[in-house]
Amino acid sequence: MHEGRMTDAAERGAAGAAERVVEHATCLGCGCACDDIDVIVADGRIVDARRACPLGVAWFGDGRVPARARTGGRDVPVDEALDAAARLLAGAARPLVYLAPDLSCEAQREGIALADALRAALDSVTSATAMESVLAAQERGRAGATLGEVRNRGDVIVFWGVDPMLRYPRYMSRYAPDPSGIHVPDGRRSRTVIAVDVGDSRGPADADLRIAVAADHEVATLTLVRALATEAPGAGANTLGGPGREGTPPWEHARQLAPPCLAAHYVVLVHDAEPVPGRDPGRAGALVALAQALNGPTRCALSTLRAGGNRSGADAAATSQTGFPAAIDFARGYPRYRPYHGAAGARLARGEVDAALVIGAAAGIPDALLGALARVSCAVLGPHASEGTFASATVTVDTGVAGIHEGGTALRMDDVPLPLRPSLAGPPAAAALVRELRARTMRMAGHTGSFGAIGAPGAMSPAAEGAR
Amino acid sequence: MSQLRIVGGAVHDPAAGIDGEVRDVCIDGGRIVADLPATAPVLDARGMVVMPGGVDMHCHIASSSVNLARRLLPEEHERDPALAPALVDADTLPRSGTGGTVPSTFTTGYRYAGLGYTTVFDAAVAPLTARVSHAELDDTPIVDGGFFVLMGNDDYLLRQIAAGERERAREYAAWLLSAAGGYAIKLVNPGGVELWKSGARERTGLDTPVGSTRVTPRAIIETLVDAATALGLPHPAHIHCNNLGVAGNVATTLESMRAVSGRRAHFTHLQFHSYGVTASGGWCSAAREVIGYVNAHPEISGDVGQVMFGPATTLTADAPVEYLLHKSSGRKWVNVDIELETGCGIVPYSYRETAAVAALQWAIGLELFLLSADPWRVVLSTDHPNGGSFMSYPALIRLLMDRAYRDEQIKRVNAKLLAGSALADGLEREYTLNEIATITRAGPARLLGLRDKGHLGVGADADVTIYAPDADAARMFSTPRYVVKSGMLVVEEGHLRRAPAGRRLYVRPAYDAALTRDLERYFDQYATVSFENYPVGELRDAACALGGEARGGAGDGAVGGPPRREDAPPSTLDHHHPDAPRTTPAPDSASAARAHRRPPGDR
Repeated sequence: MHEGRMTDAAERGAAGAAERVVEHATCLGCGCACDDIDVIVADGRIVDARRACPLGVAWFGDGRVPARARTGGRDVPVDEALDAAARLLAGAARPLVYLAPDLSCEAQREGIALADALRAALDSVTSATAMESVLAAQERGRAGATLGEVRNRGDVIVFWGVDPMLRYPRYMSRYAPDPSGIHVPDGRRSRTVIAVDVGDSRGPADADLRIAVAADHEVATLTLVRALATEAPGAGANTLGGPGREGTPPWEHARQLAPPCLAAHYVVLVHDAEPVPGRDPGRAGALVALAQALNGPTRCALSTLRAGGNRSGADAAATSQTGFPAAIDFARGYPRYRPYHGAAGARLARGEVDAALVIGAAAGIPDALLGALARVSCAVLGPHASEGTFASATVTVDTGVAGIHEGGTALRMDDVPLPLRPSLAGPPAAAALVRELRARTMRMAGHTGSFGAIGAPGAMSPAAEGAR
Repeated sequence: MSQLRIVGGAVHDPAAGIDGEVRDVCIDGGRIVADLPATAPVLDARGMVVMPGGVDMHCHIASSSVNLARRLLPEEHERDPALAPALVDADTLPRSGTGGTVPSTFTTGYRYAGLGYTTVFDAAVAPLTARVSHAELDDTPIVDGGFFVLMGNDDYLLRQIAAGERERAREYAAWLLSAAGGYAIKLVNPGGVELWKSGARERTGLDTPVGSTRVTPRAIIETLVDAATALGLPHPAHIHCNNLGVAGNVATTLESMRAVSGRRAHFTHLQFHSYGVTASGGWCSAAREVIGYVNAHPEISGDVGQVMFGPATTLTADAPVEYLLHKSSGRKWVNVDIELETGCGIVPYSYRETAAVAALQWAIGLELFLLSADPWRVVLSTDHPNGGSFMSYPALIRLLMDRAYRDEQIKRVNAKLLAGSALADGLEREYTLNEIATITRAGPARLLGLRDKGHLGVGADADVTIYAPDADAARMFSTPRYVVKSGMLVVEEGHLRRAPAGRRLYVRPAYDAALTRDLERYFDQYATVSFENYPVGELRDAACALGGEARGGAGDGAVGGPPRREDAPPSTLDHHHPDAPRTTPAPDSASAARAHRRPPGDR
């Protein structure tokens, strides 16, 4: 369905190998999800990813992935590996299904279905990475925009403790501040860029205004800017933030930051939701509150940066099917949200998990979790599963990478969906494997009766529920 | 189950003029048939009430914005867990989920079916995010459905209007529908969302310039109303007027209706647009003025958007409204500006009987229902989850059918603002079962141009709901005994037993291929997704046909939005409103040719 458009390009190079080009491919190297990549394939390998940034080039690589299935350290047919994985899950009392990066939304939805059927715990990398932002948005809401609004409207761009060049290399050239837009016709020259350095986290080099905020002053600074944005006209900044604030560093920072924001037509606050050393845990909430408050005197959007591999997709898929974005427990036969004590890391640390199914790329799993996962019986379905960290897992089945070998859909960091255009054939696709695994697990569990989700005795029909 | 004879029920099939007559309904291969062999399986419906499956033409259940609302409400979901149903169909995985005002996808499908609904449309999808809606609808089992495509604040469309290029605007509307796989054209606060995104805070009048003086809400409405007609779409432009929720907005509402006078148009959630203003600037009901206009103009249709007391989630592309609601309620708030197309605002809310404005809103909705002269044109909705959950439809039906109960409820509400309300004067009307069947299935199906839905005539989709009569209409309608979807028994003895996938309902109107060259340039300049990656591509089900023959599965199933062919099929207008005045033909020859050919109405 989402097969890339493949064209035979002219033969190139000394070897004269036939090349084909997959145009408009979507890169999942980071959450920017640039969908303008031309992937050049020759001899079954990716030889170029045009327009991709270095991070994207590395993500595409040459596209070669192993295609093995292993149980107990030996190669077996995929069929046998799936049976072993099904046995593992069907026999588990407290299984965990873990969604790692590099999955299509379609594969994520299959993973969630399996967790539901197993009455398992379900989690994704979000709980160990971007949870502060997720919880802040649940507490307060959000004032956001898709990245095209950032591009077409943002005239004051505030980079809060982040230089996108490091982890989101094309953010500045595709969204802001570089490109021209409808309300910013001269691109960078139409915009004011403010870099807020927070502790050791520096904003971009090419800023019109730079403010250095000590790490323990950032939340106070954000709160004071918010106060300035919402103060009654004529109240004067001296009344803000209670007595004794005047002259403090946060007060001085706020006095510098507020005027350009209040003079803007459309402020964009940019921050990184991925782990940042030394970040105040209150940052995400304070940024949401400021972005919302700035919509009184002007317009403002908070742009939340997310890493690659369709992480936003995992949050969205889990939310649509369960009502919760991550850290979910199906043990009672319905989803419960346990963001504080029920995330995968906490469950593993307490020894509550007796078998885990990891779906997706292990390379994207935070180190602390990798170690904990390696200590339980584990089935891994994902790219390079048979190599590296999980090589000794109970069962491994290699899959391709969503967007390189597998089609489907992925969400950009702003939840805009994009098609994936695979450029290479690969091992069996993750979505189909998980679906097959579910069927086998259900059959086995049906025989052994080891868990009760099937048929859910006592489950009330929605009609009957509605009558209550 | 390919054959089924439903025996001995009192059939309510308003489209056929059947009002409680005891007769059999025969089903074969997912369709209603005239008769079956004596050996066909039988469902005993003696003593029961038989209706077509419910059709919800306006709710919010499957979109990027709906999912943001879900994400905002973990506390609601935690309070309303939904176990997986005990399905008998071994091939279908029963799914658990959560409820509340914005339930998870599978739970949404189960609960709609559990209420006897078999067709549901999401009324507001930004085409940029259409893939998300299709995925969510794939996860919303049992019900057939689709969505309406937001166009009333679309930057490219507004540019065409500014340039006087209304034909190109129409072609663009066709392209957008095709690209998104949507069913109808939707306008939300036309022009007003763009103004909000630009920082304006003033109310948007019908002639407020949106950037250019040629672009006004009036021009946007006219352009899209004409486009829907000229393209032969099964459903006319679906309009959410400017100034929703503002005291005195009745003036805007009536002006919007007059702006398209004589042309087919659907005005949605009328309740939210029927507020008067007193001499002292306070709120009052203007329901009589709005319903009076609708009653007198057969080309106009509407749904009510009833407010029901209890929790709700206000969720709309009308982002400026949500900003005001956030400021006045202090509740948490989501705003997302959606590039080049629209906005999104969300605020959780609760309507309380003790609150004067909420009581007024509740009363206005009931006035609209009770003063409506034509149940075919003024149909039931709560604008789920805005006015209340779809789970409150049975309670709403009881309010309409049971005057004694209604009068009791009126006594409980804050009457401070009800002085001018017809409800306070005592409206005696009680809806009959056939009128209920009309406003919940036959009417919406006809307004949507769904020929095979909303009735039990031969050839119709075999979507049937069977209720046990009950003096308490709320109980009756909340627990159908049987629901048949596409010929399959999905609810038996009040329990959900099967959950097949529903069918997608969408259109793929042809468009002028020359448009795409201009659009590609526009995308290069302003969009952040590739032009090639924007259309959703091929969908599992075939497209509905145009020209007033919206028959699921009868479309040509063309992929990716085909350019118009020279031999494009002729379209029809208003096939279900033969009495509606003829629409102004579109100026170009192709459309004019289409617009002038229309078969007799089917009414």
